[in-house]
Parts: sequence; C-alpha cells; structure tokens
Amino acid sequence: MPSQSKLLGDLISAAGAVSVSGSNLVANTVANSAFQTGSVENYLSAQNLGFALRNRIINGDIRIDQRNAGASSTVVDGTYYLDRYKFYSSQASKYTVQQNAGSVTPPAGFSNYMGLTVTSAVSSLGSTDYFEFLHIIEGYNVADLDFGKSTAKTITLSFWIRSSVTGTYGGVIKNSDGTRGYIFTYAISSANTWEYKTITIAGDTSGTWLTTNGKGITLGFSIGMGSSYSTTPNVWQTTGADSATGATNLLATNGATWYITGVQLEKGSTATSFDYRPFGTELRLCQRYYFKDVPTNNYASFAMGSAYSATIAQIVYPHKVTMRTASPTVTVASVAVQSATTSTTGISTVAGTYPGPNSTLIELAVSGFTARNAVWLNTAASGASAFVSLDTEL
Amino acid sequence: MENYKLTINRFGGEPTCIIRLSDGAAISISLENTDYQAYLKWVEAGNTPEPADE
Repeated sequence: MPSQSKLLGDLISAAGAVSVSGSNLVANTVANSAFQTGSVENYLSAQNLGFALRNRIINGDIRIDQRNAGASSTVVDGTYYLDRYKFYSSQASKYTVQQNAGSVTPPAGFSNYMGLTVTSAVSSLGSTDYFEFLHIIEGYNVADLDFGKSTAKTITLSFWIRSSVTGTYGGVIKNSDGTRGYIFTYAISSANTWEYKTITIAGDTSGTWLTTNGKGITLGFSIGMGSSYSTTPNVWQTTGADSATGATNLLATNGATWYITGVQLEKGSTATSFDYRPFGTELRLCQRYYFKDVPTNNYASFAMGSAYSATIAQIVYPHKVTMRTASPTVTVASVAVQSATTSTTGISTVAGTYPGPNSTLIELAVSGFTARNAVWLNTAASGASAFVSLDTEL
Repeated sequence: MENYKLTINRFGGEPTCIIRLSDGAAISISLENTDYQAYLKWVEAGNTPEPADE
C-alpha cells in the first residue's frame, strides 16, 4: 500500500505542477489551481505568521493618540481624536472617546483599544440623529481594489469588539460623497466580552471611487443612527445611509460602553491575522495626515528661521513625512521665538503660513527683534505644554 | 461662535491662509483643507472675518 506522501506526490505529479520527494515539495512550481481560495492566508493565520502591509486601516490597533495622549474627550461633531478616527455627534456632550477607556484587558495580542462611553442618554433617536465615527482611507491606498470598475476586488473587514449592550450594530463602507454605500451589521452576543468579527464584502462595480489623495474608501461604525440615515443592509445602495434600519442604539443607555481594536480592512475574502506594524512605521503613517510635535523638555528646539522684521519671525518648519496635501492647518501653543539677543515667549497664535508638502514657513508675531537675525523656535520654559501641530486630515 | 481673521502675504500675491481665532490656527486657503471648507460654510452663512493686520 503506497504511503500518503506517495499518493499526494502521484496526484500532484499527475497535474504536472510539482514533484514530491518523501513528504516534501521540492519544486517551486505549484500551480495556482492547486490552492483553494484563502488556503495560504488561512494557513499563515493559523500559524500566527504575518505577511505585511495588508491592512488599509492606519492605527487599527489604536496605538497612536497624538492629539490627546490617552486622555478622555467629550465628542464634538466632526472632530478627530485617536489618530485617523473622526467622530460625529448630532447632539452635544453625549459620549466620550478615550484610548483604553475603562482599563479592561484587551484581546490577546493587543495592548490598546478605543473606548466609547455614553455620558448622557438619548433614549429615543430623532430621525436625523447620528452618532458614529469614520476612518477615511486615502484614495492612493485603495486604488488597487478597483472599486467602481467591473474588476472590483472583494474586501474583508475584521475587528475585535466589546460592549456592555448586546444587540445588532451597523456600519458602512462608502465612497467620498456617500453616493455609494454598503451597510454591514454585526451582532454583539455577550455583554462585556471581546468578540472577533469578520465581514466580507464584494467590491462595488459602480459609482465613483477616488484613487487620489482624496477620500478613497470610508469605513464607518455607528452606535446610534436616526431613521433618515438608516437602510437595508448587505447590498450596495445609493441612499447615503450610514447604518442599518433597526440597529442597536448604544446611546439609549447612560454609562454604556463600546470598545474596539484590531480593525483591519484587506483585499480578499479571508480575514487574516492582524497586520502588526512597527510603532515607528504606524506613527509615520499617521503623520501624513496629522502630527503634533511635543518636545516635552524645556528649551527644546522645533526649527530655525529668521526675523522678517521687529515684529514678525519666520520659521522654516520641516514636516515629519510628506503630508497628504500642501495645505495644512497649523497650530502652535506656548512656543517661544529666540534670537541671540531677545526672545518672545508664550506664543499660541500663528500669524501666517506658506506651506509646501515637505515643509511650512510659519510666521509668528514677536517684539523687539532685529530684521534678518537668525532665530529659533523652541519650548522655552513651557516644555510640558508647548507644541506645533500640522493637520491635513481628510 | 467661531470667528476668523484674514492675513496678508508678505511676499506679495494672494493671501495663503486665514486665522481661526478660537485656537490661533492658520488655515491654508485650499479646498483640500477641511478647516477651510468649514470656513467657507461660515462665510456662506452670512458671517464676515476680521480684516488682516497691516
């Protein structure tokens, strides 16, 4: 009776694709048809073997919080908190967002999560109420998915979720202007328990999907959505909705919590293991859209420049990475401009900017300087609070 | 309520940014900037920014 490896070898040899020596494949010529769809991905996932740069989500494991450094924030409509996540709230002061809110143990393999907490209940949603957050993926980073073409690729979303309120929640995959959208749902079965969810979606063959530095694909998670923005799930539609009709309203319960981490959106029909990237890599990916330079130490330098006049200093500020656009919003707080002979401290207003993609000339109001003298921008004695930030978020 | 202030271009030409007075941020004049888009809506609502310093 032939051995199993002999049988396998005979079968594969019969296909003319590869040869077997003992129990080992010895030629690097296995035909594509020999693999079931997803078999390689499943094997690598089962073995916890990574293969890199699959995840189109930046900060999917919620490591980066440049703006708030782990502090809790009450959500203001249309505002970014943890890097790359933009929050919406049709009513003010209804919920908070915080890295590692509630200090629960994250799922195995993760160190951080994003926690939403209801601080003022909305027991009955109005038809135009919306409570959600979006992750807007730049078009360049999804161009290969061919959305809007007959060759559109299937995508798979996966994430870890935990909530104090069980039920069926809704979310959306949509294009830049919301004229194409796919509502997905997922069930939270057990309260206060991490659950892993995977959702596979056939790519959209219609509509306009940007492949530029604009909004490519937007992923949204809803925690409460009015009827005007809710519709039937699991089909591509044009309603502009962001959630599913009848989805659970987390806002109905004061103190309710909703935590998420390990957010991954990838090409293909298989949810692979989370695409861990080095911290420095992830930070740089975030900084294409926003960076906050916080030296922390007193008298730490930001950048050099010169005095344009007695009252205006011009600082050439190099960006950390090439930013998404050459048109940032520039903010400073408690910074100082210093020359060999004088200084102006406590500057928290920008006087002007002349930006490019890789650096920005920042003008700051000063007093008593000599034109054309060299100056440098630093923290002075405000190391704990001084910062410079640039924002080109979508 | 939010308010804004215009700026001048010290190198000549058109201004390159406006100032958001609530936080002193300089917002690039570009439709690619979402803060500038918000400014345009603010103007469309009938508001007027403060003039630039000379």
